[in-house]
Amino acid sequence: MDAPLIIGRGLCRYYRRGIETVRALDGVDVTISAGESVAVVGPSGSGKTTLLNVLAGLDAPTGGDLWIGGRPVSGLSEGALTAIRRGFFGYVFQHFHLLPTLTVAENVALPLLFLRRPLVPNELHRVLDAVGLADRAHHLPRELSGGQMQRVAIGRALIVRPRVLVADEPTGNLDSANAEAILSLFLDLVAREGLALLLSTHNRDLAARCTRILHLRDGHLWDPQPSVTKT
Amino acid sequence: MTWIRLAWNNLARRPVRTSLTAVGVGLATAVAVSLGGFNLGFRSAIARSIEQLGFQVMVMAKGCPYEAATLMLKGGTGLLYLPESAHEQIRTDPDIEAITPVFLGVAEKPAGGMDEGLGATAFALIAGIETESYRTMKPWLRFQSGPGYDGGRWFSPESTDEAVMGFEAAQYEQRKVGDLLYLSVVPHGRSEPELHTFRIVGVLERTGTQDDGTVFLPLRTAQRIFGREGQLTIVGVTLRQFNAIRMREFEGRWMSIPEVQVVSLEQVKGALVSLVGTAQTMVAAVAVIAVIVAMIGVLNAILMSVYERTAEFGILKAIGAERRQIFRLVCLETLLLALAGAVGGSVVAVAGVRLTDAALRRLLNLGVSQPMVLITPRLLAVSILGAVALGLLAALWPAARAASLRPVEAIRGQE
Repeated sequence: MDAPLIIGRGLCRYYRRGIETVRALDGVDVTISAGESVAVVGPSGSGKTTLLNVLAGLDAPTGGDLWIGGRPVSGLSEGALTAIRRGFFGYVFQHFHLLPTLTVAENVALPLLFLRRPLVPNELHRVLDAVGLADRAHHLPRELSGGQMQRVAIGRALIVRPRVLVADEPTGNLDSANAEAILSLFLDLVAREGLALLLSTHNRDLAARCTRILHLRDGHLWDPQPSVTKT
Repeated sequence: MTWIRLAWNNLARRPVRTSLTAVGVGLATAVAVSLGGFNLGFRSAIARSIEQLGFQVMVMAKGCPYEAATLMLKGGTGLLYLPESAHEQIRTDPDIEAITPVFLGVAEKPAGGMDEGLGATAFALIAGIETESYRTMKPWLRFQSGPGYDGGRWFSPESTDEAVMGFEAAQYEQRKVGDLLYLSVVPHGRSEPELHTFRIVGVLERTGTQDDGTVFLPLRTAQRIFGREGQLTIVGVTLRQFNAIRMREFEGRWMSIPEVQVVSLEQVKGALVSLVGTAQTMVAAVAVIAVIVAMIGVLNAILMSVYERTAEFGILKAIGAERRQIFRLVCLETLLLALAGAVGGSVVAVAGVRLTDAALRRLLNLGVSQPMVLITPRLLAVSILGAVALGLLAALWPAARAASLRPVEAIRGQE
C-alpha cells in the first residue's frame, strides 16, 4: 500500500449549540491510503458527515492533528485549506448540486475553470466515458435521471484527477439498482485510477463492498468485531 | 466554459427577475441620459438661438428683464413699447456698427390654418421691420424657391398690403407666394378688431429661429394697423467692438433715456440659463432618485440570488472555487445585468430623443427653437459606465457575503 494520503490523530470537532457543546467528533484516529475504499457507517447524528468534511479539508478540526498529502493542516485558515484541497479531493454529495443551466459536459468541466486549468477535450471524453455519460454530454440536468445526475457529479469530481474521492451519502437519493451501479462505478475507479475512496453511507451492504469500514457512534470510532479488512 | 458564460447562465435561471431588474437599470439610465442630454443641449440651444437673433444688444422699454430675455426668442403678449425717437437718438452712437428697429404685435388669424377647427382663431406674431437694416443684421435670411415659392422678395418700405412669411408660419397657413393672408388686429385704444388683407410676396427658408413663425410687414404698416405710429418694441444693435467695457459704456450712454433699458444678449443668455438652472437641479435630483432606486433593485435581485444559491456557493467552493473567484462571479453577474440595462436604457434614450425634447418644451416653454436635448457619445459612455459602476457598488455586499460562506455551513444550511 502507498504512503497515507490522509492521517488524522485525535481529531475533534466541537460545535456550540446554545449553551450546549456538541462533540460531533471526539478523538478519532484515521489513516486513508491510496487504492483503498473506506466506508464510514453509523446512525444519523453519529458524525459521519463531520468526519468526511474534516478529513476532506472542508471543515477545520477543533482539536487533534491532521495531515493531508503529508502536510499538516490543523489550525489553517479557510483560504489555506482551500489551497490544499484544490485538485487533491473530488467531492460527491447526496443532492448532486449540479448547475441547472449547464449541460452535462459543462457541469463536469466546471472545476477546471476554478483551478485555471485548460479544458482538454480528450480528458473530458475520458471522464464522460468513465461515468457512462458520453451520449448525454449535451443534455441538461433536468433531462437526466437521479442515477445519471449522480454520475455527472462523480464526473465533476474526477475531472480534476483527484487523489481522494470523497462521497457523502452518494446513494442516499437513489434506488437500490442505481445505488449498486454507482458504488460499482466508484470501486471500479479506485481500482483503475488508484484513488482513495472515502464514503459515508447508511447502507451496510454497500459498505461491505469497500475494503474498510469505519463504524462511528457519538463521534467515536468503535469496533463491533475485529475489523473487517479485505485484500 | 468561461466566466462570462457561467455568469450569464446564472442570470438566465431567473429570467423574470433578471429582466425586471435590467428594465429598472434601463429606465434609470434612460432618465439619466435624457436629462444629461437636456443639461448639455439647453445651453448650446440658448447660445445658438441667441446668436441667430443677429443682435448683440437690444434696447427696449423698461420692464421685467426676464420677459425681455424671452421676448425676442419666443415672442409674447403684453408688449411694452418705446418711442421711435429713441431709435433716432441711439443710431447716432459712434460705437454702433448696425442698428434695426423692430415693431412686434400679435394679430388674430381667422380660421383656415391646418390644425384649426371651424370658426376657431389662432394668433400670429407680426414683426414690422425695415428690410434694409434687418437684412444687414441677419444676412442668412433667404427666400424659399420651388413651385409656388419662386420669385420671393422683400416688400418695399412704403408697401401697405405686402407681407413676407417665415417658413413655419407659411406651412401652418398653407400659404405660398401670391396667396392672400388675412389678419385681424385690434388697434391700440379700440375694442373692435379690423380685418386686413396682405399679399404674400415671399416665404423665407427655415432658420431654426423665431423668425420661422413670424409674419413680416413693413415697419410703418405694422405700426399703423396696430395704432401705434411712432412706437417700437425693440431696437436691435450690433457694436463695432463687443466686450464688457464697450457694453457698459454703451449702456451708460443710453440708459438715461426715460423708459428705456439696454439689454446685452449675453445677459439674456445668462438670465435664461439661470432661469432654467433650478429646473435642471430638480431634474438632476429626479435622475439621482431613479438611479438610487435602480441600485436598490440590483442589490435586492443579487442578494436574493445569493441567498437562494447558498448551497451552490458552498459546492463551488468545495470543488475548488476560491473566495475571490466567488466574489468575482457575483460581481460579473451584476456587471452583465447592469450593462444590459444601461445599454438598453441608452438605446431607448437615443430613440426617444425627439419625444423627450417635445416633452421638455411642453413642460418648460423656454422659447428655444434649437433641439434642447443633445445626447453625445461621451454622455452615453459616461452614463453606461456610471450605471455599471453603481451596479457593481450595489453588488459588493452580496458578493462579499457569497465569498465568505464556509462550504460546510453553506451546504448544510440548504440540504
